[in-house]
Amino acid sequence: MSAWRQRLPCVLVALWAAALSGCGGEQSALEPRSGPARDIATLWWWMLAVATVVFAGAVGLLVLAWLRRRRVGAPVVGEREGFDLGMVVLFGMGVPAVALIALFVVGNFVVMPGTDAPAASRAQMRIDVIGAQWFWKVRYPGSGVVTANEIHIPARTRVNVTATTADVIHSFWIPQLNRKIDMVPGRRNRVLLYADRPGRYRGQCAEFCGLQHSHMAMYVIAESPPRFRAWLAQQARPAAEPGGALAQRGERVFMEHQCSSCHTIRGTPAAGEVGPDLTHVGRRTTLAALTLPNTPRELAAWIRDPQYFKPGNRMPALDLDRSEIEAVAAYLEGLE
Amino acid sequence: MAVLGTAGRARAERLRRVWAERHGVLGWLTTTDHKRIGLLYLFTSLAFFLAGGVEALLLRTQLVRPDNGLLSPSAYNQLFTMHGVTMIFLFVIPLSIGAFGNYLLPLMIGARDLAFPRLNAFSYWVFVAAGLFVYVSLPLGSAPDAGWFDYVPLADREFSPGPNIDFYCLGIIFVGISTTATAVNFIVTVFKLRAPGMSLNRMPLFCFAMLAVSFAIVFALPPLTVAAAFLELDRQVGTHFYDIAGGGDPVLWQHLFWIFGHPEVYIIILPAFGIATSIIPAFARRRMVAFPLVALAELLVAFIGFGVWAHHMFAVGLATVTAVYFAAASLIIVIPSAIQLFAWLTTLVTGRPQFATPLLWIVGFIVFFIVGGLSGVMFAAIPFDQQAHDTYFVVAHFHFVIFGAAVFPLIGGLYYWFPKVTGRMYREGLGKASFWLAFAGTALTFFPMHIVGLLGMPRRQYTYPPDLGWTGLNVLETVGSYVLAAGLLLVAANLAWSCIRGPASGEDPFDGATLEWAASSPPAPYNFAVIPTVTSPYPMWDERDREQDVRNAEAGRLVLDQGHVTPATTVIDGEWDEALDMPSDSPWPLAAAAALALVFTFLLTGHWTTALVFLGAAGAAAVAWHAREAAAELVTRRALPNGWWGMAVFLATEAALFGSLIGSYSYLRFTSADWPQGAIEPPSVALPLALTAVLVLSVVPMRAAEVAARRQRTRAALRWLAVAFALQAGYLAVQIVSYVDELGTFTPATNAYGSIYFSLLGAHHAHVALGLGLMAWLLVRLAGGLTEYRVTAVRAIALYWYVVGAIAVFVVATQVSPA
Repeated sequence: MSAWRQRLPCVLVALWAAALSGCGGEQSALEPRSGPARDIATLWWWMLAVATVVFAGAVGLLVLAWLRRRRVGAPVVGEREGFDLGMVVLFGMGVPAVALIALFVVGNFVVMPGTDAPAASRAQMRIDVIGAQWFWKVRYPGSGVVTANEIHIPARTRVNVTATTADVIHSFWIPQLNRKIDMVPGRRNRVLLYADRPGRYRGQCAEFCGLQHSHMAMYVIAESPPRFRAWLAQQARPAAEPGGALAQRGERVFMEHQCSSCHTIRGTPAAGEVGPDLTHVGRRTTLAALTLPNTPRELAAWIRDPQYFKPGNRMPALDLDRSEIEAVAAYLEGLE
Repeated sequence: MAVLGTAGRARAERLRRVWAERHGVLGWLTTTDHKRIGLLYLFTSLAFFLAGGVEALLLRTQLVRPDNGLLSPSAYNQLFTMHGVTMIFLFVIPLSIGAFGNYLLPLMIGARDLAFPRLNAFSYWVFVAAGLFVYVSLPLGSAPDAGWFDYVPLADREFSPGPNIDFYCLGIIFVGISTTATAVNFIVTVFKLRAPGMSLNRMPLFCFAMLAVSFAIVFALPPLTVAAAFLELDRQVGTHFYDIAGGGDPVLWQHLFWIFGHPEVYIIILPAFGIATSIIPAFARRRMVAFPLVALAELLVAFIGFGVWAHHMFAVGLATVTAVYFAAASLIIVIPSAIQLFAWLTTLVTGRPQFATPLLWIVGFIVFFIVGGLSGVMFAAIPFDQQAHDTYFVVAHFHFVIFGAAVFPLIGGLYYWFPKVTGRMYREGLGKASFWLAFAGTALTFFPMHIVGLLGMPRRQYTYPPDLGWTGLNVLETVGSYVLAAGLLLVAANLAWSCIRGPASGEDPFDGATLEWAASSPPAPYNFAVIPTVTSPYPMWDERDREQDVRNAEAGRLVLDQGHVTPATTVIDGEWDEALDMPSDSPWPLAAAAALALVFTFLLTGHWTTALVFLGAAGAAAVAWHAREAAAELVTRRALPNGWWGMAVFLATEAALFGSLIGSYSYLRFTSADWPQGAIEPPSVALPLALTAVLVLSVVPMRAAEVAARRQRTRAALRWLAVAFALQAGYLAVQIVSYVDELGTFTPATNAYGSIYFSLLGAHHAHVALGLGLMAWLLVRLAGGLTEYRVTAVRAIALYWYVVGAIAVFVVATQVSPA
């Protein structure tokens, strides 16, 4: 059974899509990497199978009508009205009623509880994720750790994510791990994150949130619990002192220009709340909610003209010359 | 109509003179002929279809490859918003209801026009004005850009400071006036103007669909109007309906929007069902299977559609119980749709179907409806819904439903009724080619969206990264959209060419079942030279009845050529009631619509006083419109007059409006920790209750006036009306003083309590003020003596006050409830 379950998705996806675009990537709901996501995917394949049967049956009737188009004479009406009505009652009411009740029970009473957000007591850990135009602010309560766009979790651990928003409605969604949940002003929604094994899972804002809705993605990075604990301890520390003259100049530029009014770097005077926390930005793999890879070159290009890469985002191009930009990039890349 | 004899032809000629309208452009501007208005709707809605289609092609072209730079994010957001707004409000509804409904409804029920011909013209001109109002924003670069669903707080002034969303809010309210007026018109037409003999169980299924749609509109649009008005007030006045910091709740918008939005889906698709049930019997050569079940299913779909809205909101974080309830309701609505589906299929299988072009489009509709229906059922499994929600899977689902299933029958209908409207035949080969192109294009555009959605692609993305496996599918979708566009262009080319060069079609080329095929092609301005005899839902297949028509024409029975008249019948049984004198062409509907357009323009620019002046101008146009009275002598009717019915349906939509306001009040109250919020004192109880008692008491003299008018005692009627007017005016005066007085202690901008408190009372006072305007008009009219028209006016306005009285009780109960 489970082997069949494992294989069927791949067979059908192969039929549908693989030839066209390759099997889905790290944001595919059809490649689940957790119990809840797997239950939902299995539900989908079952629904697809039943839907295919229904579709084939109905189209079969159309084909039958097409085959009967050349019959001679006017159709006989009235003799078999009971049969005709019976067809409508059976297939229009009887069969759907059975299928719908089955779907209702399986979908909402069998599958749903396993994908629900856990009660606080049943979760092993909590993370607060705050959606903002257009990035994700991530807090680890109790540790003082604040990061952005890359959410580290321990694998095989039930993590309760509290999803809130700093401005408009966003929606938190990691398709390979679980269903999505909206981030609505005035509400504290919760969702369960659980990863079977270490790995990187991509997610994206699913509720239209303005100009850069397309560039509001994130990674969930699941690590073995010891590695996660090490990561968390490292992230809890204040920012590293800049090493080298270039990075030291970069820090000065950062603090003297507007950078520090929007970004926080713990351990320095920079305490802005508009943009992502940069305390350990050097450890991240991407910039601007997965818009760019995090390399010194890309970081410098981003600082030079953020509006080019992500038009409409809140970060202005500052009046910095080339050497100042390189210094700031060197400083930030050093914040590991 | 079969060949008429000499006497019949002479009568038809007299009818032609009686029903003739002005020639030329002026004729089109002042027309009240439902067929000409239907054609105006047709061409206008197709123009909007073109605009919405070009928008869609631009969107698809932008998405043809990852990181494409064809459209800026701002342009993309404006275009996808305008695409949705256009297709839903300015294309599908005006085409299906405005064009098909207008043109066909009177013809199918054997009438000579709609119940309120000038109101019909008004609906059209308001629709044009509203469409232009919304579209002006596009060249200004300020088109709505928060999606057609326009969620707050993104749509609030804070995050959308430009005028974009103001165009949206005001445009939606504006176009809703048009749709509502049409729905009122259709309901009264279906109830009152059916040919003698057409009892409700003999009414064509198309007309049942139109009736169901009209009722859905009457009750579904008020929540949208209220939602848009709240948002506009939040944006322009600083109220706090949706503002969490001010005690409001952004989720209120979602509830109000989807209470409208889900019935809207059925409003879009029910006319398509109606068209399918017209075309299938004609080409299957047999009657519809399970006629009563299908009629019931059409009405049920419209009704149950009101109970499922929150399935659009499963990801908001609703309580589990609530979500499961809405999932169950969403499943129940599948049943009436499945009944209709298998009725169509069984009819086709047991008939002798001829797969001509119109039926092909219906076959396409059935296939796509099954696809869209099956994917729709899946959303009732909440965990799956929350996985697929806001992805391209949903885009695929609803395009199969509202493009594949709703628009394909409309195009099939264009082909099917083309000979009726033009008197010419389209080209069959081209028709089939256009179908297969559009069919392939639709499948190719929308089917891969299911997959790309499951692969994780969210909706409303102006661009996407190259490494997630979405690129190939997006290429397919874009190619499909161009194939689809080619198919639709072929439809246009076929019909345009055939309009000029097509061979003559005759009256009834398809051996259709319903009465529109009894009229000439194109139909004469009076539709039927003789009001048709009806004894079944398939009157054109009852040959003896048609022979009876010819004998009637010769004998002058049911010809009604003495005036501009059409028969009115009883609501259920369709028995003869009276010959109604129908209004003819008039400039006032256009004038009133133009004045309203100026009202909305000045609301947009924030010139409220000027807007009020033009509202007065619109009122003046309405008075001028009603200056000429129908020339009916005083008769004893068997049934309630059309004017009373029109008022009743209008009041139903008003009641839904107040229901939405009171519902919003309750919602805000029960999501708020304290009520009244902040330091606001609870309202006093004694004065509002006493005042409401006075208003309710005014119902007594209204009733007395109504009785006196029906007994033709003019002076008594006037006296009672004056008493009622005094009570009502006194009520309003004291209420306004108290309203202004309360504004001194807190305002709509204080918090959400203030916002809903003053809005609810303000709407109620405006309702009373409108009634006072009606009363003033009535008093002036009655001073000139009593006519049949004025008796109807007294009865309709009395009904208005009964309902105002009832609403007042609910309003005051809500108002004083915190105390």
